[in-house]
Amino acid sequence: MSYLLTEEQQLIRNNARDFAKEHLEPFAFELDKTGRFPAQTIEHMAQHDLLSWFLPEEFGGAEVGYLSYVIGVEELSRASAAVAAILVSHASAAYAINRWGSEQQKQQCLPMLARGEKLAALAITESGPAVGEGPKAVIATKQGAGFVLNGEKTFVANAGEAGVYVVVACTDPALGSKGLAAFLVHAIGGLQVGPKKRMMGLRGRPTADVTFNNVPAELLGSPGAGPSICAELLSILAIAEAAQTVGVTSAALEHAAKYSQQRVQFGRPIGAFEAIQTMLAEMATNCHVARCALYHAASLVECDASFSIEAAMVKMFSQRLGMNSLIDAVQIEGGYGYSEEMIMAKLFRDVSGTTILESPFEFPEQLIAACIG
Amino acid sequence: MLITSEQKEHQRLAREFTEEHIIPIAAEYDRKGEFPEFIVEEGRKAGLLSMGIPKEFGGLGLDSVTQAIILEELGRGCAGLATAFSVNELGYYAPLIAGTDEQKKLYFTSVVEGSLSSFALTEPSAGSDVRGARTTARKVGDEYILNGSKCFITNGAYAKMLTIFALTDPSKGLKGLSAFIVKGGSPGLMIPKHENKLGIRSSNTVELVLQDLHVPANQLLGKEGDGMKIAMTSLDMARPMVGAQSVGIAQRALDECLKYLGEKFSDPRKIGQATQFKLADMRIGIEAARQTVYHALSVKDAGLPYSVEAAIAKTLGSDTAMRVSKDALALLGAYGYSDDSVVEKLVRDAKIQQLYEGTNQVQRIVIAAQMMAAIQPKVAAAKAGR
Repeated sequence: MSYLLTEEQQLIRNNARDFAKEHLEPFAFELDKTGRFPAQTIEHMAQHDLLSWFLPEEFGGAEVGYLSYVIGVEELSRASAAVAAILVSHASAAYAINRWGSEQQKQQCLPMLARGEKLAALAITESGPAVGEGPKAVIATKQGAGFVLNGEKTFVANAGEAGVYVVVACTDPALGSKGLAAFLVHAIGGLQVGPKKRMMGLRGRPTADVTFNNVPAELLGSPGAGPSICAELLSILAIAEAAQTVGVTSAALEHAAKYSQQRVQFGRPIGAFEAIQTMLAEMATNCHVARCALYHAASLVECDASFSIEAAMVKMFSQRLGMNSLIDAVQIEGGYGYSEEMIMAKLFRDVSGTTILESPFEFPEQLIAACIG
Repeated sequence: MLITSEQKEHQRLAREFTEEHIIPIAAEYDRKGEFPEFIVEEGRKAGLLSMGIPKEFGGLGLDSVTQAIILEELGRGCAGLATAFSVNELGYYAPLIAGTDEQKKLYFTSVVEGSLSSFALTEPSAGSDVRGARTTARKVGDEYILNGSKCFITNGAYAKMLTIFALTDPSKGLKGLSAFIVKGGSPGLMIPKHENKLGIRSSNTVELVLQDLHVPANQLLGKEGDGMKIAMTSLDMARPMVGAQSVGIAQRALDECLKYLGEKFSDPRKIGQATQFKLADMRIGIEAARQTVYHALSVKDAGLPYSVEAAIAKTLGSDTAMRVSKDALALLGAYGYSDDSVVEKLVRDAKIQQLYEGTNQVQRIVIAAQMMAAIQPKVAAAKAGR
């Protein structure tokens, strides 16, 4: 593993940045205000191979490494965290199908996901204390050769727009969260999408509850592998969310640094004050450390090594990075940073969303401690 | 410190007011970004407009600690509406500090009868640094003519009485700053812009443009050049109140965590230690901030200098509101991030508490300056001791 980006990875960063400049920046503000699903942008992304990333070429994918995808998510997040968040749900579900799906499942789903003909969604969060444990937990019951799902998922990203869902469901209510497995579900009758939720940020990414009423589902991976598959899926999601956090935070840092050079108070740019320099230096340092840890974790994914601890560490670190940095970035820009007419207020609202845990009671700290003990 | 039974009664009434009149409308006006004007009349009936106005002028004449207790409750309901009431107070501090009986009567009667007041110091080039002020007041006969612009002015579009700062002698810098009573709706007082803000969206924030605004000379507060002193004394009074509102935000965030956990877990023993400690940390911050607010205002009510205590109360309160609301958001996850929950609003509302009435950096300048002044004699004393 190299500690420097390859030429290909740098090219991917530049391409993603160019795409973001042309297709995301001009309308990110409007997307935030209207909250309307950016269907046209998703089409543009498909045309630029920005939906297929790490998927194999035989299924229409770009077959770049996982780190390249993470770099792409980071770059897109700088311009529009909402669009990047749509991509992350889509790609994480595609990751699951590609990694654990049967040949038939892959052939059926991946080409249309790579081409953007259908969008994918990942449904994990439930209203109970943990996934698989509440009264509305989604339960998978065996029926014939397959399964049927019953229950409710909450705050499902891409809900309503997705044609394919990867659903984490409980195969045995007695086992609770220990009986989890991942299922492939096609959006058909019996799968009901609730009204779109209004979120603090990431507006434009649809979020809704999804109710399953005897919905046919196919198991992903071999029976018995469910818990480890679900754990890996959460780790994959943690890495991708950290990429969003790093992207939004670096956009905020860049903006705040520029502002601090322009805004003059007490006879000099506020960036000349040690108090402001300290805030900027802390943001920049934390952002850099998070990015290094993020790329390291993504490299482990890429070379098929174990990455669960590293993913948990990245998640834990980037959670702190995101909100703390944006609290300071708004502070630097003062009343102007607090105005919804400027970009910083939007970044503040977006970053909180990129650090939200899928299951808030599974502290990454616990996983890390368990692994180093 | 313990609060008196009379203060407890005010707390109970404020809590009732909040439950009845504020919480039911908070989400709607936050979403719309509009000030619910009818809350002013409800506030008048409950005495919230005139808490700090002396009884002789028809106000409640409450001590500062009691006012903070009330503002904490309002902040718990909605920091946007609490801001409308606390800036109303900030507006009338100036006549309270420096007004003649005539001026007090003019200003206070308007407030007591049910109109908001406002405070206009900030300008585009004068945020933390008041020396950047450009607004001028030129004396012509028995009038002053004001020209310039003010920004981020709370209650600006609704206030019947405004305290506006302008330079009567720009050549003297801050020593040329003066404070004026200006009636809302005066010709020459224009409102070109309403701010669309990240938080406290139900409070009214506007830009004011003063174009040949005529103000009778008898509406100058104090003497020409007293402006900076009046502004700083007013802000000293307002800062612990920001601390109080902030404690309200933090308390609400903690309350919402407990409510959420209660719904999610039927057995509290299943709530992990990491979560329990996080809740304990929230409580620790809230208790400390609340007591610091009470302490600063007790010092003030005792007639002692309290600028540093006021700065500490504002900073600790607002930093606590930001930290606690942020942690609550992390705890509630996607639910807290959606507007099914009030927590995302608390996070947005908490942020401004660190910014307005003097940023927390300005507070630290105030706090540090006192210690820096103390270093010199101490170094000398230490040397003499050896």
